[in-house]
Amino acid sequence: MKATTAQTCWVRPCTRIWLLLMALSYVTYLVGVSAIEGLWAALLVLGFAVLKGQLIGDFYMGLRWVRGPWRWVIVLWLVIPGALITTAFLLAARGSG
Amino acid sequence: MTYALASAVAPRRYPPGDLAIWIFILAELSVFAAFFAAYAFGRLGQVELFNAYQQTLDRRSALINTLALITGSYFVVRATAAIREDDSRGCFDWLLAALGMGTLFVVLKSAEYAHHLGEGIHLGTNRFYMFYLSLTFFHFMHVLMGMVILAAVALKARRGGYSAAEHTGVETGGAYWHMVDLVWLILFPLVYVMR
Repeated sequence: MKATTAQTCWVRPCTRIWLLLMALSYVTYLVGVSAIEGLWAALLVLGFAVLKGQLIGDFYMGLRWVRGPWRWVIVLWLVIPGALITTAFLLAARGSG
Repeated sequence: MTYALASAVAPRRYPPGDLAIWIFILAELSVFAAFFAAYAFGRLGQVELFNAYQQTLDRRSALINTLALITGSYFVVRATAAIREDDSRGCFDWLLAALGMGTLFVVLKSAEYAHHLGEGIHLGTNRFYMFYLSLTFFHFMHVLMGMVILAAVALKARRGGYSAAEHTGVETGGAYWHMVDLVWLILFPLVYVMR
């Protein structure tokens, strides 16, 4: 099996991930300081957070290249609390609606 | 100008670093997951109170802290890449830069705590502040722990203790630091933004 790949690019992949993480964080902040609120805004920023967590797990923690159960550690950690938080916010929206 | 980048993509069975740190990370992440769920469900009975007091938090400071932790993680990735190329000096420099980002986080968060304490806010003020203070302070302690680990790894890198062939310590310290970053990436929107 081929162990390495040669890529020709302008910017290192980890730098591109960093820029994406910074941009998503800034958008999250903008949602926080804007008048945008409600369930969908909350779920949008939670979605951004899960996406950012997945990028950290895959590319910074190196789990993208791991096969087997360890590959899914961060995915599960993001999905389970993410689902619980979503459920709680859905219940809160239903209660106030 | 373009440059060639060779990245290791060999499939592996275990994550980078010492497996023991990953067991520890799993335990830490489980605790934080329980905290997040407790915050979300604890908010259910007092949604208006949580939404009102969330507005008193300093979101700009939280954004800078988020960017600092993300950038610190990026610097740790660069440090790991440097040692994989047998560049001990580069590894040390990147780790030092990551420590700088950690220091920025600690200074800003301490200023936030000082501001809250100055206003007489404490764990018993209300349920929102109980969660906010305990969750963020628990994370704050992990940042400090991560900085101690990164400092130890940096010192060893400076002495030439790691090489391209053996750099498990750098990967282990890096995994812990990324975990600290990962937790904040959920904490930031949950406590400061979602309402």
